[in-house]
Amino acid sequence: MPAGNWTTSFAEEQSMRRLRTTLVPPALALLVLSASDTGAQTTVNPDISVIPRFLITTNDGERLAEGKREFSRPDLQFEELEIAIQSYLNPFAKADVILTLPGPDVEAGKLGLEELYATVLRGLPLDLNLRFGKYRAEFGKLNQMHPHAWPFVTAPLVESRFLGDGLNDLGISASLLIPTGDVYTRLTVDLLRGSSIAGTTGLADTSGEKPSYANSARLTSFFTLSDESDLELGISGYTGIHDPYNHERFWYGNLDFKYKYRPSSYTSLVLQGEYLYSTRSAKQDEHYAPFLDQSGRSAERTITTGGLYMYADLQFMKIFSFGARYDWAESPYHTDDRARGVAIFFGYYPVEETLGIRLQYANTITQTPGSASKSINSISLQTLFSLGPHKAHPF
Amino acid sequence: MKLLIGIILLCLPTAAFSNVKVITTLPELADLTRRIAADKATVDYIVRGDQNPHFVEVKPSYMMKLKSANIFLTIGMELEMWAPQIVDGSRNSSLDVVDLSRTIQKLEVPSRVDASQGDVHRFGNPHYWLDPRNIRPMAEEIIAALVKVSPQDEPLFRANAEAYLQQLDLKIAEWEKIMKPFAGKKVISFHKSWSYFANWLGLEIAGEVEPKPGIPPSPSHTAEIIQLVRSGGIKAILVEPFYDLSPPDQIARATAAKVLVLPTSIGGVDQAKDYISMMEYNITTLAAALK
Repeated sequence: MPAGNWTTSFAEEQSMRRLRTTLVPPALALLVLSASDTGAQTTVNPDISVIPRFLITTNDGERLAEGKREFSRPDLQFEELEIAIQSYLNPFAKADVILTLPGPDVEAGKLGLEELYATVLRGLPLDLNLRFGKYRAEFGKLNQMHPHAWPFVTAPLVESRFLGDGLNDLGISASLLIPTGDVYTRLTVDLLRGSSIAGTTGLADTSGEKPSYANSARLTSFFTLSDESDLELGISGYTGIHDPYNHERFWYGNLDFKYKYRPSSYTSLVLQGEYLYSTRSAKQDEHYAPFLDQSGRSAERTITTGGLYMYADLQFMKIFSFGARYDWAESPYHTDDRARGVAIFFGYYPVEETLGIRLQYANTITQTPGSASKSINSISLQTLFSLGPHKAHPF
Repeated sequence: MKLLIGIILLCLPTAAFSNVKVITTLPELADLTRRIAADKATVDYIVRGDQNPHFVEVKPSYMMKLKSANIFLTIGMELEMWAPQIVDGSRNSSLDVVDLSRTIQKLEVPSRVDASQGDVHRFGNPHYWLDPRNIRPMAEEIIAALVKVSPQDEPLFRANAEAYLQQLDLKIAEWEKIMKPFAGKKVISFHKSWSYFANWLGLEIAGEVEPKPGIPPSPSHTAEIIQLVRSGGIKAILVEPFYDLSPPDQIARATAAKVLVLPTSIGGVDQAKDYISMMEYNITTLAAALK
């Protein structure tokens, strides 16, 4: 008998929970309306969530080249719309479809496929979980989180510089629970198409090329320190081809931690951080400028750089949160191209997760080769709402 | 050879005294299971008595609890929306997930639900364990689940359950006697947790501190409740230990009502050591306030 040997009423409860969605995008309306017409269909109707984000932002760096430091006119932007469709396929597997409509142009934007994958949850030897499709790979901690779940508005510098919009690729993954007593330890290994790195911090779009596969893996352990506090530690690796024309390889290593102290239902403190180590061989930089040796001939270099972020987020009075983040990151291709920054953020969630408002101030100082360092201040006000079922938060 | 003998000796005690591993969502389910299974089961739970069972973070440590369990007992009726994620994460292919609400006479089952009504449960109010008369059907479900794993122990499970239920019946009669003078009295509750409790004792829940289930109190709603308490001569505001006391305290300051922090789970207050002592505490505290 498969697990999740749910009794009938629990299964009914699950299917009824899926009816929570009351408003859906037009493309999905037919599905929901038809499901509501007949009771039988509701049992196969998936969970549908719609989460848009809007942003008002300003910064004082736009006229620095003219020698002027003044805040730009605050710009109201549509940031992104995320539509999640999720359900069990059968007693053994579930499927997730995440569609995104990126901003800022709400009308010209195209709905894209952020993630599309199936996960086999049970029935495999050694209690393996298998996932296949397009998904955010389990590399580090933040890469697995969608931006609407971050406590801050903008991505840490190390994430945007080394992973672009995230390590999100076609692939297949297997995960195994390692027997370490009462400590939860999971090993996940991914075989990926390798297009994510090339599309973001690699050299070229490989969509027309033969795939040059990438691999990632993560080992994570979860420690219960007390009734109120828990600690998760993770180590990840990721390797692939960043320059498909010269077949140049990169290696990423990543250490992550998350500590959470929750003394009551209304108060919690999260401390989280990651350090990413990068090394790659390259004959040219990200702008296709060849690396030259002392005699001016083309030469291959090994570039080792990295970056980190750490943040603290304090939830208080249930509906408020306040936090700060420190960033530091080099460029994947240049040790003398680096940036550091601080961000202070405030969150207000008046009715659980149905509505969120985040205010962030950030200062970022960038240092690029051959130019003076540049300091930019930015202020962002993000609003989001969440329509549809709200799953419990994973640690 | 010595190694082989050693392994066999290590395995023998396990084989002789192997029992059922049961994980429950709430501590009162663990308490009831322990009464029924005695030493034939190891029993643990997930939600502490001072935690809100509606909102539980999905921790890998909970998945580890379920990984080697035989039975997972839940209240059901959407109380534990987080439970499926823990079950999936446990990778336990033989876990029997049991919904104890199956035969309960459910209250407040809505005909239509949407988010404008707050966090309304589609299958009705799930706080049925606060009516002690519901413990008997819950015990039947637990016995059935235990018997599936350990059929040879059914007579023991039934005998243990009956002994406990008889003890509980005596307490129910005692509690009903204590509360009989207060039948028809109005109380205010923070959340809709006390419907079964009030229904059992003939109390009337005149209003909730929350304007709608799960929605934080607003100043205008608090003012309405203050008016309601004053006009109805209401003496008690029932609040679970995990809710913010500021709004009920504000109501109490403006009226003659008293805020009563009453546990809905074992461990919610120090006096709630088990189900009977939890209910005893609730009954005696409420009776004292209503006098």
